[in-house]
Amino acid sequence: MQLARRQRRTGFMGLTPLIDMIFLLLLFFLLGSDFVTYGQSRLAPPRGTGGETSAAPPVVITLSADGALSWNGARVDAAFLRRETAKLTALNDEQMMVLMPAGSANVQQVTTIMDALQASGAQSITLERDVFDIDLADF
Amino acid sequence: MQLKNTRRDIKSIDLLPLINVVFLLILFVLIAGRPSTNHPAGLEVARSTIQSAHQGAALSVWLKQDDGFYLSDVKPVTLSELTDLVAQKGIAAQGLPLELIADRRATAKQLLAFRRAMAAAGIGEIRLKTELTGEAAE
Repeated sequence: MQLARRQRRTGFMGLTPLIDMIFLLLLFFLLGSDFVTYGQSRLAPPRGTGGETSAAPPVVITLSADGALSWNGARVDAAFLRRETAKLTALNDEQMMVLMPAGSANVQQVTTIMDALQASGAQSITLERDVFDIDLADF
Repeated sequence: MQLKNTRRDIKSIDLLPLINVVFLLILFVLIAGRPSTNHPAGLEVARSTIQSAHQGAALSVWLKQDDGFYLSDVKPVTLSELTDLVAQKGIAAQGLPLELIADRRATAKQLLAFRRAMAAAGIGEIRLKTELTGEAAE
C-alpha cells in the first residue's frame, strides 16, 4: 500500500510574534537591570582584628552639620585631614580613626569623610557618638 | 500635464536586520547591566569615590530619608526589634556582618544609633552600601 506523502507547506513564516517576544525581553532587561556600581564602606571594622600595633591612641575627628572638621579638637580642613592621615598611616597602618559626626549631619557627609580617610590609607575607621563610646575591642 | 506616479510598491520589509539589532541590544543590556537591587522606592544611597566590592551580608537594613529603619520596603522596624532579630538569627555569634542601606539624606544621628545598638548586640562589622560615582569608576 502506498501511503500518500503529506507535504508541508513552507510558505511565509510569521515573524511578528518573534519580534514581539524580543521587544518584550528587551524591555524586561532594560527595566530590570541596574547600571549603577555599588560598593560598601565599613561603618565599623570586624571586632578584635587589630594587632599589637593598634594600641596607638585613636585620632578623633568630629564632623559638624555644616561640614566643619576637627582633628583631636582642633579645627582643620579636608586637606589637612588627608595629609595627616596619610602621615600617620604611613607610620602605623592600623592607626585607629574615630569619626564622630554631629547628629544633624547627613549620611552623605559621613561617607565623604570616611572616603577621604580611606583614600589616605586609614584602614581602622569607626563611627562613634562620643569618646566614651570608643571600644578598643572594635579594632 | 500628468505627473508620473512615484509611489513605491512595498511588497515586504526585510525584518532580519531589525531582529539582529534587537538581539544585540538584549546582549548589551545583559552584559552591561545586572539585576536591579531591590531598594525601596526613592531611596538614594550615599555616593562614594572608593571602589570596593559589594558583598552580601547576613541581614540588610534600610534607613530611609524619614529616619526610620525598615526590614523591607514597607516593614518598619525599631532598633530593639532589630537587636532581637540579630540575636534570634545568631548573626553576632557567627561573626557575620550587617549591611545598612541608608539614604544619603538620612541623619548621622540614626546612623550612630544603629551603630551603637548593633555594637551592643555583638555585631562588629557594619557595611554601609554606597554608589560608586563616575569619578572613581574611571
